[in-house]
Amino acid sequence: MGKQVSNAAQALAPGEARCPDEPSTQDIIARDKVAAPAWVCSESYQYLGDHDVSVDRYIDPEFAKKEFENLWTRTWQFACREEHIPEVGDYYVYDIGRRSFIVTRVAENEIRAYYNACLHRSTKLRASGTDGSTQEFKCPFHGWSWNLDGSINEIVCDWDFQHVERDKFSLPETRVETLGGFVFINMDMDALPLADYLGAEFMAHIKAWKLEDRYIHSHVMKTLPANWKLSMEAFMEAYHVINTHPQVAVSNADANSQYDTYGEHVNRFISTLGVLSPHLKGQYSEQDVLDQFTIGDSSVLGGSERKLAAGETARQRMADMMREMFEQGTNTDLSGVSDSELLDCFSYTLFPNTFLFAGISLPMVYRFLPHPEDHRKTLFELFFLRPVPVDGNRPEPAEPVRLADDQSFTEAEGVDPGFGEIMDQDTENLLLQQQGCEATAKPGITLGSYQEIRVRHFEQAVSRYAEGR
Amino acid sequence: MPPGSRKALKLDNTWVLVINANDRLFAVSGLCSHQAKPLLNGRVRNCRITCPVHGARFDLATGEALDLPATKPIPTYEVRVVDDWIEVSLGT
Repeated sequence: MGKQVSNAAQALAPGEARCPDEPSTQDIIARDKVAAPAWVCSESYQYLGDHDVSVDRYIDPEFAKKEFENLWTRTWQFACREEHIPEVGDYYVYDIGRRSFIVTRVAENEIRAYYNACLHRSTKLRASGTDGSTQEFKCPFHGWSWNLDGSINEIVCDWDFQHVERDKFSLPETRVETLGGFVFINMDMDALPLADYLGAEFMAHIKAWKLEDRYIHSHVMKTLPANWKLSMEAFMEAYHVINTHPQVAVSNADANSQYDTYGEHVNRFISTLGVLSPHLKGQYSEQDVLDQFTIGDSSVLGGSERKLAAGETARQRMADMMREMFEQGTNTDLSGVSDSELLDCFSYTLFPNTFLFAGISLPMVYRFLPHPEDHRKTLFELFFLRPVPVDGNRPEPAEPVRLADDQSFTEAEGVDPGFGEIMDQDTENLLLQQQGCEATAKPGITLGSYQEIRVRHFEQAVSRYAEGR
Repeated sequence: MPPGSRKALKLDNTWVLVINANDRLFAVSGLCSHQAKPLLNGRVRNCRITCPVHGARFDLATGEALDLPATKPIPTYEVRVVDDWIEVSLGT
């Protein structure tokens, strides 16, 4: 590729250059046997400039403070799944920084979120990291209690609190909305509705995925050794695959992945699988591609026959195998699902801190939370969402598995070993990158115009919120 | 006791809670180790029980306290099925 590329690219407007002499993501998907839906077949790239992004945001505790004051207080955040709180009285404690919220179902179709602190002397009403079921939220200290609807129930020795007006002592609330089985909260009572915040185009995408019909099959937590934004950005492009994950590149069209932005709060990439990396052109056969295919949830594939017939592509064979194996392995009907949805990696970011993966083989959700005490650490959560079995019996959501800092993702129950290895490789880069941001003589990071557009798009939103705009 | 059911009973002055969770029988203290509130109506999920009053969670198999406000375990008891009877041993 080399010099010719840069000559050809020079003739194009900024952001228009693409991996040369290679099929685009849309070209690859268009050859599939079972055609992809509209949300897959669209493109929405926009050039957003080429300035460096300052490293202060990753290394300055003052920047983290601004984020806690101005960003986390004004954005929609995934707090829990509806399946965490299926019955009236069920609750789930969601923390962001030192703020803590009790998300609870107060009626069959009504969920509220309360600031998790007693209005008497501020004791947390429920411990962080817990969930459960109750008829009232009772403070363990002096026994003041609140009804599920947030109104005050009991003031112990109320004769001593004649100055307390009961109707002004309801638990303070946040905004709450649900989408795709996720419960979102926003501390800003004047915030845009969630659908407007995410935008009409993305809303059409997520509605097609029916994530409300999935359940949490596994849930893993681990502290990552870098600022939350660096941690997130490690997952926003396929540009790093050839170097960081060489074992995957053989069956991943990395350099010709597609990148899109939607409004201010959503972006995505589509990275097709079962296709050789442009970096490795001419070095591997279709049979090699098939043999080295690594996916997120390969447990359902079993020991299937993997010899290609003449003229058969690895990608099509993988799609056919996946359809059959996933239907059997997860007891679900996938007859209407396209090859691309079965195979490919659809990575979406919902600002500020959630990744949704829309496909079947990579059914993940990531959540990144800034460590409340240390801007150099991230509380990372990985969820695998599987379709609810066709018999309709929704399994209980998995309890989180907490990995120690030095534990491999491959040690977590429910994580495919190949996928765990990829996560470990991503984690290995992070401490070096955090330290490098602190060591560097260069005040900003430099980004590719196309392959790193999600990073730029994300950081532009961070800047707007952090500065209070 | 079908799966998902539970029963509280007093044996020799000790409150015991017997639970059939995920097709496995457990016998634990009927009272929370935090403020001695009854656990009977606590939600059971993934072989853990949550105290309905203040939210402490306990592992049904080991009795271990998993969260604040509890810091001490609850007693667990040996349980077995003999013919049609469920027997609990207080081990005293």
